[in-house]
Amino acid sequence: MKTNNKEGFFDQIKRYLLLFSFLIAYISYGQESFTLNGSITDSTNGETLFGASVFLEGTTIGAITNEYGFYSLTAPKGNYTLLISYMGYNSNKRELILDSNQKLDFELVEYSTELKEVVVTADEPEMAVLRKPEMSVSKMNIATVKQMPVVLGEVDILKSLQMLPGVTNNGEGSGGLHVRGGAQDQNLVLLDEAIIYNTSHLFGFFSVFNADAIKDMKLYKGGIPARFGGRVSSVLDVRQKDGNNKNFALTGGIGAISSRLAAEGPIFNDKGSFLVAGRTSYAHLFLMLAGEKNRASFYDLNLKTNYEINENNKLFLSGYFGRDVLKFGDVFDSSYGNSSGNLRWNHIFNERLFSNMSAIYGRYDYNIGFNSEDFEWLASIDNYNLKYDLKYYFNDSFKLDFGASAIYYEFDPGRLEPTSNESAINPLKLDMKKALESGLYVNAEHKLTDKLSAQYGLRFSLFNRMGGQALNDYENNLPVVYNSRLGIYEEGNVLGETNYEKGNSIETFHNWEPRASLAYQLNENSSVKAGFSRAAQYIHLLSNTTSVTPVDVWTPSGRYVKPQLSNQYALGYFRNFKDKKYSMEVEGYYKTVDNRIDYIDGSELIGQEAIETQILNGESRAYGLELLVRKNEGKLTGWLAYTLSKSEQRTLGGSAGGLGINAGEWYRTPYDRTHDISLAASYYLNEKWSFGGNLVFQTGRPVTYPNGQYTYEDISVASYAPRNSDRLPAYHRLDLSLNYKPNKKPDAAWKGEWVLGIYNVYNRKNAASISFGQNRETGANEATRTAIFGIVPSLTYNFKF
Amino acid sequence: MKNIKFVILLYSSLILTISCEDVIDVDVQNANTRLVVEASLDWEKGTTGNTQTIHLRTSTPFFESDSNTSVTGAIVNVTDMDSGTEFLFVDENNGSYTTNEFEPILGHTYELEIAYNGEIITAQETLNAVPDLNIIGQSREDGFNEDDLEVNMKIQDPAGEGNSYLFKFRKQGELLPYFEEFDDEFVNGNEVDWYFEIGEDEETEKKEAFQPGDTVEINFYAISPEYLSYLRILINQIGGVGIFDSIPVEVKGNCVNETNPENYAYGYFRVTQVVKASYSFE
Repeated sequence: MKTNNKEGFFDQIKRYLLLFSFLIAYISYGQESFTLNGSITDSTNGETLFGASVFLEGTTIGAITNEYGFYSLTAPKGNYTLLISYMGYNSNKRELILDSNQKLDFELVEYSTELKEVVVTADEPEMAVLRKPEMSVSKMNIATVKQMPVVLGEVDILKSLQMLPGVTNNGEGSGGLHVRGGAQDQNLVLLDEAIIYNTSHLFGFFSVFNADAIKDMKLYKGGIPARFGGRVSSVLDVRQKDGNNKNFALTGGIGAISSRLAAEGPIFNDKGSFLVAGRTSYAHLFLMLAGEKNRASFYDLNLKTNYEINENNKLFLSGYFGRDVLKFGDVFDSSYGNSSGNLRWNHIFNERLFSNMSAIYGRYDYNIGFNSEDFEWLASIDNYNLKYDLKYYFNDSFKLDFGASAIYYEFDPGRLEPTSNESAINPLKLDMKKALESGLYVNAEHKLTDKLSAQYGLRFSLFNRMGGQALNDYENNLPVVYNSRLGIYEEGNVLGETNYEKGNSIETFHNWEPRASLAYQLNENSSVKAGFSRAAQYIHLLSNTTSVTPVDVWTPSGRYVKPQLSNQYALGYFRNFKDKKYSMEVEGYYKTVDNRIDYIDGSELIGQEAIETQILNGESRAYGLELLVRKNEGKLTGWLAYTLSKSEQRTLGGSAGGLGINAGEWYRTPYDRTHDISLAASYYLNEKWSFGGNLVFQTGRPVTYPNGQYTYEDISVASYAPRNSDRLPAYHRLDLSLNYKPNKKPDAAWKGEWVLGIYNVYNRKNAASISFGQNRETGANEATRTAIFGIVPSLTYNFKF
Repeated sequence: MKNIKFVILLYSSLILTISCEDVIDVDVQNANTRLVVEASLDWEKGTTGNTQTIHLRTSTPFFESDSNTSVTGAIVNVTDMDSGTEFLFVDENNGSYTTNEFEPILGHTYELEIAYNGEIITAQETLNAVPDLNIIGQSREDGFNEDDLEVNMKIQDPAGEGNSYLFKFRKQGELLPYFEEFDDEFVNGNEVDWYFEIGEDEETEKKEAFQPGDTVEINFYAISPEYLSYLRILINQIGGVGIFDSIPVEVKGNCVNETNPENYAYGYFRVTQVVKASYSFE
């Protein structure tokens, strides 16, 4: 993968380009046809709709709107009936005489409340879902998310995603997602295209996504489209609302722990709209209830505005700023959070060519103040990202996405700053790390026959770890060596250091990442799909703890840390039953990841200049079977998700010597869950009342328990078993919720809603961890279970004005 | 410096605030029994350091507490590798092995040799000098919790890098000691302030903060960097590990089985210089 043969590299590019030009020549055969394009929006607030469909009735010709509500379809000259539809909205029908290129915009009217419940993951006409090669994708409408019972009364899209097959978390009190046995840092989380490095507030009790500011989200568990790169496990693409461009509107909610308020409306003489959404936990209430001097709170702010220059040019500006603030008595304080901004320019070249350019900034940082000892510890990651994406709608059976992106990173792994002259601490600054990650991609959506369609693409990624710092040189080039006498891994001997000048590269890597999937429609109600994807990941989150903590830092690939590279194979069967009232998805997957690092025993990562001395390169593999059965219509809707899976890793000693971690044997990753069952249901009684319920069962998380003890220095020392060779008890719980809408008048401006939720109804004490130690009074060893949430009732009032 | 890892502990404490803890029964695996070597040759500054004891025991299943683990019948020797002097430790037939002739010399390297069950176990360690420990009094506001008493100390770290230290604190009348370790990575050559406070454990009430009238015994050791690495893991794992702690591991010491390397021993052979003090809170 190392770029050591420049000629070979360019030859490869040429070869691929040639291949694509053949393809284009093949599909651009002549026929008199015309193109229809435009946008689809919501009639009440003007929000563009992503994934709405425009079909020519009686044909298989159709198009789906992109993230900006844009569609384009090309058909032979003729008379047609257009069918415009979107899940949760009334369909539109319209006669069309296609004898020239045309631009047509549509507005769709949302269903009356009664049918609004019918919003599960399928939001495209079922025939399209069956035919489209897209697989391993979970899309959730924010309305569905808002109906699910939640803990502490705060709607949380990450917790809702965990109800889907193949998605878990690391237990209560931990943030983030684990997708198909992958680690948290293997997910690319995007909020309006900006990278979010830490998705949780207060250690996962809340997610950073304010449901009032979010329009939609899509989770790619596999089959990641070529336009995304940089993570090996999944992509979570979350998009903020654009803001109501018809009326000024206020929405908000008042809960026991936090409250939120969002304002939106038209600006720039109706040429644009804006959205400002804020959320905060009641300062410190959270912990003061327990009479603690420690305090924790969070707040966040979402901003979005857009301006339509003319019908072919539109600008968007979006921003996010979130922060957690913690205080531990008067001695320590800590804060951390993400901030991001994105300026986008949508440009429509012509009825078939759509483009978007984005300039994005993202940052995650944390600081810890040690007030009693007068110093501060700070660390951050900054990135500047420029992207250009284009989509060309060749004809009904061929669409091409292509584009380029470049991300410049600055990693500040930590610095120690005395805050007064009296501090006994010497200032310290770890070396700043810099890198440039670029990508080029092309992806085709290709309808080969009426029954067979394909999506295939290629991403080329290039990673340049930039100079401007010195790196240690080790004896025999080994940062970690095996001490065969003591049977432990130790830091290698430093011989000296190499200084890399600014402008020089420390190391460059490149990877070709092919992505392909195929769908074959067996009959009107079922189809099979198969997919393959390869992805490279160049930056890694360093975390040797059971749960990722806010103080973990990211590190780029370079001389000692190699890029992770994954291959995933998936096969699926999709079927609709009983007039599409029910649907079923079955998918199997097998995934391998090369260069997955793990940490040597006793590794120290915080404040560590030479990360390479604490890690060993390994590999991981995961495989599983996922089943999702949904009921899409009627008063009772919901789904049952079941996942049977395995996730393991192996870390050999390699050139460092020794057998490796766990004597070189495969061991479970912390995200291994044999069984994972989720049942989500909602019942619509009438206009006033509706109910929701979740039932979750999961195999316990792999953990490490002691397998012996001995007395040493007057204490009992626990000796621990091989890594992750034990498991916590199984996790299960039931949640219920009740929604009450007191307002009967549909025309009233003020619409209120009460949400009563009960989390963990039967008060199961699910272990977040079990720790082993000696009772300080009796001296006897004991196991202590920490259970975070028992039964938690909550009441929230939501309003819209 | 009470290091940054401490903050992770604090993060856990926030979670604990809203969580509930209880002691439960858990089935754990049982590993094979191993020999445990507690060979702590500690030379108290200002004494001759001639009398030293080494303890040999066996490991047991994790929840077993009442079995007799003493190992008798071993032959235990320590050799000063710089002078060649050999010290024989006499079997007291209760798991203890004692000598009254040990000669500690700063900078010298010592080797432990144990012959037991037909196998030879060895370890090496170097003796380092300990700086003076000045107890400067007590306070409430300097520690982590403003309401709780702490004892304050000062240590002058010597100029050279790589000095490593261990504190062993014991509140008089309590069964178990407390350990803290540090090295001079961030404080090399500085005068280092240290405090010791017992954080009240409100929920379980197993830990009680210092009250006026309480006495704390303080042992302050200069240790080797290798022993520090060993202790870091061991001290981190005392009392159990939570979700924001490193994944726990088997702690491996420096006692190597020369005959059968797989049958390595737990514990450590350390040679240290120590200052001992005590402080009574007013």
